Amino acid sequence: MCSACGFPAAPGHWTEAGAANAHERLRGRFRRAHVLQRVLPSYHLNVHETNDILGIQLSTLTGSHSIVSHLDDVWALAEKVNGTPVDPLDRRFIGEE
Amino acid sequence: MSDTDGRIRLIILGGYLGSGKTTWLRHQLHDGQFQGALVIVNEAAETAIDDALLGGSDRLAVLAGGCVCCAAKHDLIDLLRRIADDRSRAVSTDSPLDLIVLETSGLADPGAIVEAIRSDPVLVYHIVVSEVIVAVDGLHGMSQLRSEPLSRHQIEVADQLIVTKTDAVEQNELTLLLATLTAMSPGAVMSGAVKGVSHSLPEFNDAIAETLQDFAGQELKAPISPTRLYLDDSIDWTAFTVWLSALLYARGNDIVRVKGVIRTPAGRLLLQTVRKIVQSPEILPEQGDTREDNIVVMIGRGFTHAQLTKSLQHFVGSQGV
Repeated sequence: MCSACGFPAAPGHWTEAGAANAHERLRGRFRRAHVLQRVLPSYHLNVHETNDILGIQLSTLTGSHSIVSHLDDVWALAEKVNGTPVDPLDRRFIGEE
Repeated sequence: MSDTDGRIRLIILGGYLGSGKTTWLRHQLHDGQFQGALVIVNEAAETAIDDALLGGSDRLAVLAGGCVCCAAKHDLIDLLRRIADDRSRAVSTDSPLDLIVLETSGLADPGAIVEAIRSDPVLVYHIVVSEVIVAVDGLHGMSQLRSEPLSRHQIEVADQLIVTKTDAVEQNELTLLLATLTAMSPGAVMSGAVKGVSHSLPEFNDAIAETLQDFAGQELKAPISPTRLYLDDSIDWTAFTVWLSALLYARGNDIVRVKGVIRTPAGRLLLQTVRKIVQSPEILPEQGDTREDNIVVMIGRGFTHAQLTKSLQHFVGSQGV
């Protein structure tokens, strides 16, 4: 419940809806970092998960760091770095590995 | 039925100019549907007429002088914020408002309204769009589809299609329209109506959908088609959402609709998107029957089932964490 408006719900980002408790949320964070790390290096980004920082920690190959709050921001940053969005239907993901 | 976290459900009733939205809604209200709902009527013209026809509703608000998906978007957001505010302040003995029916103007793209509500920082906590109902003119629907891009947008985002005036149209023209609608919006539930009263639709299995031309005179880039993805046990919610959020970010305009029920540790989640906008997933009650779970229907263009599966597998990888 929000102490200012008294309204419950306060849905987080939709991707975080799959966890019912703190343990699952923590597990989800590490799992998310693991999945992102499979995808982002080919887009010149790396992911770190240390569980002491809220948000998703990203770094570029030149060493600059960013912390973003949810996945949409990750994809926006990747697009900024690469000039093109991360496309799951790109050949690197659906072609022969 | 479903858990909306205390938020107000909003049903959007759209459809092209003259498609029979008001007639249908009027009859539904007369029939006792949408009990206790606040009805909001939007008219693009300066003078409102439809509200006079909708005397049967308990509560009615009118937004005239602009279409709420574009010119009058702020008026709609302001009105909804006021409604949400009043509801939060209301004392608990009042019967709480839990349903709004928004009848859009014939020029509105329902997708744009969903997007406006989802991206408003206040309304997102107060209102959840539960259904998009679109009325289609049985008589003129086909010619509108041929000539008006807007009429296609409306149909592509519909959960429910009401084909009106079905008594006034030749059988073969009607079946052509029905087949074309099914091809465009395969996930939508379709029903017929005459003067607002539900009317059965003919069989149209033999009818062939018309291939619509795009407006430069060539065929559309690719037809919109549905793909059913079965999520087996190896695919967890986290990996799936990382994948889907990337897909929507990159190709949201080509992925018109995603809908499915997914099992997670938090329960059964109803996931729905309209273009790039994702509704916060609702937790559905356990119903014992799990056959329809872990199936996601993706409606859009520019991808195949094999590509989606392969791409998703790449994201999921081998489960080691």
